[in-house]
Amino acid sequence: MSDPVLSIRNLTIDYIGATTDFRAVRNVSFDIAKGEFFGLAGESGCGKSTIAFAISRLHRPPALIRSGSQILLNGRDVLALDDAALKELRWREVAMVFQSAMNSLNPVLTIEHQFYDVLKTHTGMSRPAARARAAELLALVDIPADRLSAYPHQLSGGMRQRVVIAICLALNPKLLIMDEPTTALDVVVQREILERIHKLRQELGFSVLFITHDLALMVQVSDRIGIMLEGELVEVNDAQAIYRNPQHDYTRKLWASIPRLTGARIAEGATP
Amino acid sequence: MAFLLRRVVFYLAAFVAAATINFFLPRLMPGDPIQKMFAGAGSDLSLENLNALKLTFGFIDAPIGEQYLAYLRSVFTGDLGRSVRFFPLPVTDLLGRALIWTVGLVGTATIIAFTIGTLLGVMAAWRRGTRFDTVISLASIFSSSVPAVVVSLITLFAFGYTLGWFPNGYAADPMLDPSWGWEYIASVLYHGTLPMLTMVIVLTGGFAVTMRNNMINLLGEDYIVMGRAKGLSDQGVMLWYAARNALLPTVSALAISLGAVLGGSLVTEVVFNYPGMGNTLYQAILARDYPVIQGALLIMTAAMLVANFVVDLSYVLLDPRLKRA
Amino acid sequence: MKLLAQLLHNRKALVGVAILATVILVAIFAPLLTEYSPTQRVGRPHQPPSADHLLGTTRLGYDVFTRLLYGARISLAVGFGAGLLITVIGTVLGIIAGYKGGVVDEVITFLTNMVLVIPNLPLLLVLAAFIGQASPLVIAVILGFTSWAWGVRVTRSETLSIRQRDFVKSAEMLGEPGWRIMAFEIFPNLISIVGINFIGSVLFAVITEATLEFLGLGDPNTVSWGIMLYNAQNASALSVGAWWDILTPCVALAVLGLGLALINFAIDEIANPRLRTGGMLARWTGLIRRGEGKL
Ligand SMILES: Nc1ncnc2c1ncn2[C@@H]1O[C@H](COP(=O)(O)OP(=O)(O)OP(=O)(O)O)[C@@H](O)[C@H]1O
Ligand SMILES: [Mg+2]
Repeated sequence: MSDPVLSIRNLTIDYIGATTDFRAVRNVSFDIAKGEFFGLAGESGCGKSTIAFAISRLHRPPALIRSGSQILLNGRDVLALDDAALKELRWREVAMVFQSAMNSLNPVLTIEHQFYDVLKTHTGMSRPAARARAAELLALVDIPADRLSAYPHQLSGGMRQRVVIAICLALNPKLLIMDEPTTALDVVVQREILERIHKLRQELGFSVLFITHDLALMVQVSDRIGIMLEGELVEVNDAQAIYRNPQHDYTRKLWASIPRLTGARIAEGATP
Repeated sequence: MAFLLRRVVFYLAAFVAAATINFFLPRLMPGDPIQKMFAGAGSDLSLENLNALKLTFGFIDAPIGEQYLAYLRSVFTGDLGRSVRFFPLPVTDLLGRALIWTVGLVGTATIIAFTIGTLLGVMAAWRRGTRFDTVISLASIFSSSVPAVVVSLITLFAFGYTLGWFPNGYAADPMLDPSWGWEYIASVLYHGTLPMLTMVIVLTGGFAVTMRNNMINLLGEDYIVMGRAKGLSDQGVMLWYAARNALLPTVSALAISLGAVLGGSLVTEVVFNYPGMGNTLYQAILARDYPVIQGALLIMTAAMLVANFVVDLSYVLLDPRLKRA
Repeated sequence: MKLLAQLLHNRKALVGVAILATVILVAIFAPLLTEYSPTQRVGRPHQPPSADHLLGTTRLGYDVFTRLLYGARISLAVGFGAGLLITVIGTVLGIIAGYKGGVVDEVITFLTNMVLVIPNLPLLLVLAAFIGQASPLVIAVILGFTSWAWGVRVTRSETLSIRQRDFVKSAEMLGEPGWRIMAFEIFPNLISIVGINFIGSVLFAVITEATLEFLGLGDPNTVSWGIMLYNAQNASALSVGAWWDILTPCVALAVLGLGLALINFAIDEIANPRLRTGGMLARWTGLIRRGEGKL
């Protein structure tokens, strides 16, 4: 694979306790290529979000990324960056839709302000320019520009989700992390959002790290898939292979527990 | 708007409740209420004046219901009777003057303490677990638990008597005539320093602890993580994402603590012989000047209600979810 | 019980409990700790601290140290008595309002809000003014019946969220009577709120009793910290330089208050895991320092 966007090597993350530590991520390694849609699946609590947080170094105590871990983003060693460089990197290179995207908008600021602060911080954009750019981004996710002056509580859950995605695209990041972006939504909206991401990815060319425990959904949208079990990455393969020819026992068990889905495909070229 | 309207109706009800307490208290006590309420005036009180006072307080020859209405009528027309100690000075005049001092003292002290306390709480929460947090937390716990009477006595002892830096009483140099001149204002500030310091010490800790704990509760929220993920500056996330949201529960805690604020100022005024409402109430109690005692309760309640309303207003301004609801 | 065990692992709680225990022991064993009587002249007026009179004497020649020891009894009795009353009223009303809902809730909430906006201390002063000099018992009772509003508010909102939980729902399905659910399903889950309410109310009662007495509304023959303040103030202790007379009750009140507040802060930390820092953070910092990892 030529120059992966994200390259994770031997990532080990502990949550430090008063007496013992909890190892949430154990020696995980994987790559995401340019423009690739990478799915990370596994049951609840297996450490998916913990990995996602580590990529832009969002952890807070008592989390601890053990020495020996390596995270390369476009060849840059994220774990070696200082505070200022990290702030530069965040959102510009990696943007993230959080697990409860519904609650990831600041309830006391207008939508416009939440575009403005990130544009202003990274590009020094003026307020009117930021407003124009925000309107443009909202159009990508089909939200009329007049919602810019709304507060989050005035939008529906699905709209909030799309606003977050629009904010994610503000700086043309190389990598978009989506941590179960759709769990709180009904199936129709969920599908709509994933289709949109798929289209935007083709237009803008970013890579996606998509996290879910819904394996059936994941197989429909991803190019490659990693399966996690209790902190370990037990299998990484093409979505096709994961679907048709799972290698690891756990992957097979996962498939056995899900009724096979036969929905229409979301991504061209992805498995059924 | 509906929210504010509901609050106003509630405040009116609360005011009537305070008036009701006033009405029934003398009537529930053993002995002749009229005798008890106005005895302090002694021979100053002519029969004519006594009758006027009796009318104001609802002591009329009629069933208790009508007496009650008569009393409410005088309260709502702004007639709180006359002081029996300083007869014939109207209670409203006496208390009106005192109110200005108290509002100045309590208002300024609350604003200062709220600002300092909130900022310290924000910084402690942001750096939780560090030495800064430990020191601020301990100082705040101490400040919020030490009685106002203790702080005012110790401040008075240290800075008033021992060091002699500040005067031991009064709101201004009694030799000066009240005016807007520089000399008088300087004297007011000079005399107000110790009471103000006391109030700020007593109030700051409570605000700091509240803000710190509210903010720590919020720090795990997704929108704050997203603020950090966006690469905003630390101050940006701390102030606009965390503190701005933590301010909401802190402001409603402020509303609940207003009563304690007023209580603290009462004691402080007494210790520093500051001519505010609290001290006036205290002097009236010593002199058994019941019309003033009752008037003070009403006016202090009214002041509390206005302060609560101001807090409500600021809450509506701070929380977009309430604005049009 | 779990709460108690956790309290003993919290440094703030330990200091707070130590302070409180000391004051309680001092109050109980006062006669063993001093040879004097708190109500008899045992020295010349306003003697500074000495070997005979550890904390000096008052203007009437009472031994300040002795009055401090005996005064702890009243402060604690009023504090715990009124605190208990406040907590019982607040908890019962709060659970009923939160669990029953409807009109009952509205009435209780209305009353609560009303009590919260009528300023407490002035109201107490006015009541005391009509009653005349109030004994500690009367003060405790008045405090109990006027200061429960805060407790109702927090208990109610906590009850509202517990009511939605499964074990309450299933108890309802089984047809348990309302009072049993409130007493045996909901109340046990409110222990930390009740604890905070109780300790906070004790603190409030101790402070307020002392304040009322300092303002001259108490019975001047009581031996209590508030009356000590009142007498010292009347004797112009500050202006004649008898600092021991007035600072002694001041320090006692401040220390007892600090102890109670520390316990409360600790309960809050234990009940709310987000506020806890405890040993985990110390270990984490250590690991970072040793270069074993980063954030
Ligand atoms: N702050 C924390 N302190 C201690 N343990 C934690 C903390 N955060 C997460 N964990 C533990 O780490 C493990 C991994 O958590 P993580 O959030 O990464 O799971 P996940 O795979 O994203 O699960 P889900 O699908 O439910 O979101 C879990 O077992 C969780 O209990
Ligand atoms: Mg997760």
